[in-house]
Amino acid sequence: MPDRICVGAIAGAYGVRGEVRLKSFTADPQAIADYSPLTSEDGTQSFTVTITRPINNGFAARLSGISTKEQADDLRGLRLYVSRDKLPSLPDDEFYHADLIGLVVVDTGGTELGRVKSVQNHGAGDLLEIHGPNLKSTVLLPFTHEAVPTVDLAAGRIVADPPDGLF
Amino acid sequence: MSRSVWKGPFVDAYVLKKAEAARESGRNDVIKIWSRRSTILPQFVGLTFGVYNGHKHIPVSVSEDMIGQKFGEYSPTRTYYGHAADKKAKRK
Repeated sequence: MPDRICVGAIAGAYGVRGEVRLKSFTADPQAIADYSPLTSEDGTQSFTVTITRPINNGFAARLSGISTKEQADDLRGLRLYVSRDKLPSLPDDEFYHADLIGLVVVDTGGTELGRVKSVQNHGAGDLLEIHGPNLKSTVLLPFTHEAVPTVDLAAGRIVADPPDGLF
Repeated sequence: MSRSVWKGPFVDAYVLKKAEAARESGRNDVIKIWSRRSTILPQFVGLTFGVYNGHKHIPVSVSEDMIGQKFGEYSPTRTYYGHAADKKAKRK
């Protein structure tokens, strides 16, 4: 499980009064402000985010400690992280993508199939994209009770019972 | 112009045959299909199709609310990953 999760990035300055262009990666884009304070990747910088208005491809926002356009320009490209503990806990059978990515996938016999590379949803339910050393390309596994009977976040593994013809 | 109602929904014949065979066998196989243009029919509910996107077969578990749509709508042809951030996945 990752300690910190990237929830946004700064695309540059917005205007001349120290506002920034903020790109949000959260499911509800406005929710990025609720996770304040956000930190840089190395944790040395910390900002309280206040969204001022929506703009094309993101938000105009004011960050604590940033009051001039020059300071805002210097932050261009900075990724904003939040501690994993700050995300609210979820009910059973719901998982954060960030928690699932990287888990080891084993079949019911204990043989390792690969690791979760990403979680996708194209409208017909969630899919785990699995990448393994013995696979020519990635495999998409439906995230259902039948195909994925066990998700053990503490042990860092998923037990899969994939339908015939997937692997 | 929309399709005439008297014709009924369009489905490639081989999709119907494969779905029927899968339902009769009772096995939980992924039914590989290339027909993105076929309409999802009520008898497909509960089956899992692997819908080709030009690169690989994307698993599509058919549910009731998908009836009347086309298979291709659930198998995107372009890759977009995005960021995980606080996005959630629900096991059904």
